[in-house]
Amino acid sequence: MTFLTMPRHGWQLVAFIMGVLVVGAMALWFLTMVPARHRKNLVAVITFIGGLYYSLEFLIPPAAWHLHPTRNPLTDMRPLVGQIVQIIWSFALFLGIWNLFQLHGRAVGKRGPGWYNSAAFFVAFFGILISGLMKNANNHAADSMFTILFTGFLTSLDATMFSLIAFYIVSAAFRAFRIRSTESVLMMAAAAIIMLALVPVGVVLTNWLPDTGFLSIFRLEKIGYWLLIWPNMAVQRAIAFGVAVGALAMGLRIWLNLERGSYFDRQL
Amino acid sequence: MNIFAKLQNIDRRILYLLVALVIIIPLVRKPARHPRTIFKEVQSAYDTIQAVPNDKLVILSSYFDAGTVAENGPQVEAMMRHLFRKGTKFATVTWDPVGAELVSKIGKQVSGQMHKQYGRDWVDLGYNPGPMYVIVSGMAKDFQKVIKQDKYGTKLADISATKDVKSAKQIGTVIEVTASGTVPVWIAYFNMPNNIPLVYCPTAVMAAEAYPYLDSGQLNGMLNGVIGSAQYETLLGMGNEATYSSAASWALSTAHIFIIVLLIIGNIGYFAANRARGGRRHG
Repeated sequence: MTFLTMPRHGWQLVAFIMGVLVVGAMALWFLTMVPARHRKNLVAVITFIGGLYYSLEFLIPPAAWHLHPTRNPLTDMRPLVGQIVQIIWSFALFLGIWNLFQLHGRAVGKRGPGWYNSAAFFVAFFGILISGLMKNANNHAADSMFTILFTGFLTSLDATMFSLIAFYIVSAAFRAFRIRSTESVLMMAAAAIIMLALVPVGVVLTNWLPDTGFLSIFRLEKIGYWLLIWPNMAVQRAIAFGVAVGALAMGLRIWLNLERGSYFDRQL
Repeated sequence: MNIFAKLQNIDRRILYLLVALVIIIPLVRKPARHPRTIFKEVQSAYDTIQAVPNDKLVILSSYFDAGTVAENGPQVEAMMRHLFRKGTKFATVTWDPVGAELVSKIGKQVSGQMHKQYGRDWVDLGYNPGPMYVIVSGMAKDFQKVIKQDKYGTKLADISATKDVKSAKQIGTVIEVTASGTVPVWIAYFNMPNNIPLVYCPTAVMAAEAYPYLDSGQLNGMLNGVIGSAQYETLLGMGNEATYSSAASWALSTAHIFIIVLLIIGNIGYFAANRARGGRRHG
């Protein structure tokens, strides 16, 4: 096992990556060869075994195994199981890329409306892939190209997309936030106090009040903090409890292959 | 259309322009003044890092990408500055491929400014897929078996900063900088079982969810978005330096004031229009 998991460099690394791709492709080919009626059962069995390992590992106390010294024998397998899951995770990334290639490849092939956007995907994908690989081989020009593509384009575009939310939030708050009931008054007051309490200017607004003593409780940052650690915390605990119970139920349904509907009833 | 109806229906393009202005002006002017009020959880985060013995390694875990780099980037930078200044070695580990490049860039920049050396003072463990499974895989029991090499393919046993790190006993603190919900995994499988402090650096929108964990002592401190990193810089003695965090804290101030002003204007218009309608009906 050490032979397979030790760090590799240079041609050995390339050979291992190629080897893994070949083995991975063969495994996927084997899965496609499984008759459609058995495919779901195969997925269900693998899911059950994966879930069973972690259940036995975490739910059974080490003393219950009656071994000397006291231990759970499954614990030694944790790094190996973790690596297997990481490899499956990496294949999910690969499947995502494959999916994008199929989608945009079709659009370019058909020359439908907006096909050039799909062509831009291929230019961007191969541009950043090639410059990234060559950068690691200490190629100065590739390093500069990677910086332009990564910092100049990818980072800026991603940050821009995310920051657009600010404009929508302001516009939506202005149009929709109307005081129509007692609840909306409470909500708007809490929102305004939290917004002011979290930023320096809010603190400045009530800076004239003393730091200690009775009047200090009216300072904006103190009212904001009170809202966060009392009403907010109680609500967050209730939500966390509900989410945990829901996640447990969902986990059990998937583990035991009881889940139906949506993707679970589709032909694989 | 009367004035009240107009107040409720300001053209959205004007709103967008004003939002852009109230955010851009402080960012361009970069006021040097940092917040003087320090939140309790930011102070606790500082005290936790300050208490880490220098013979232990700090794990600086990051799970964000370019979308939230405006909030998470300054948090990483502030933490790195504190650790470098204190002389505590740290290893960055990232769970997002884009975030891995961003954290690596920040590390190179800050270590260069503070004349620190890669391998001796810090290590970049690069991108690892699947944070949950890496943490659950027994990182605490056998660190070098789960994460074997750094970003450049050097074995951890051959790197000065990590060669003695065998298990959780040599880990001083974990700092989780994130725009995602990974912190319960750290708490359940790494920090609580091994009694290792955990400092949380989420985006501001996620901070409200963390208060139960702070209250229970499962989190030892928190940097609440970019305001948290600005306050942390104040604690680092950078209160009068013009940094991105200080500029961002003022940009947020103006943006929040602007939103509140808009809410007031919109509601004045709403009430006045309602009264006018009521007056006409009765008259």
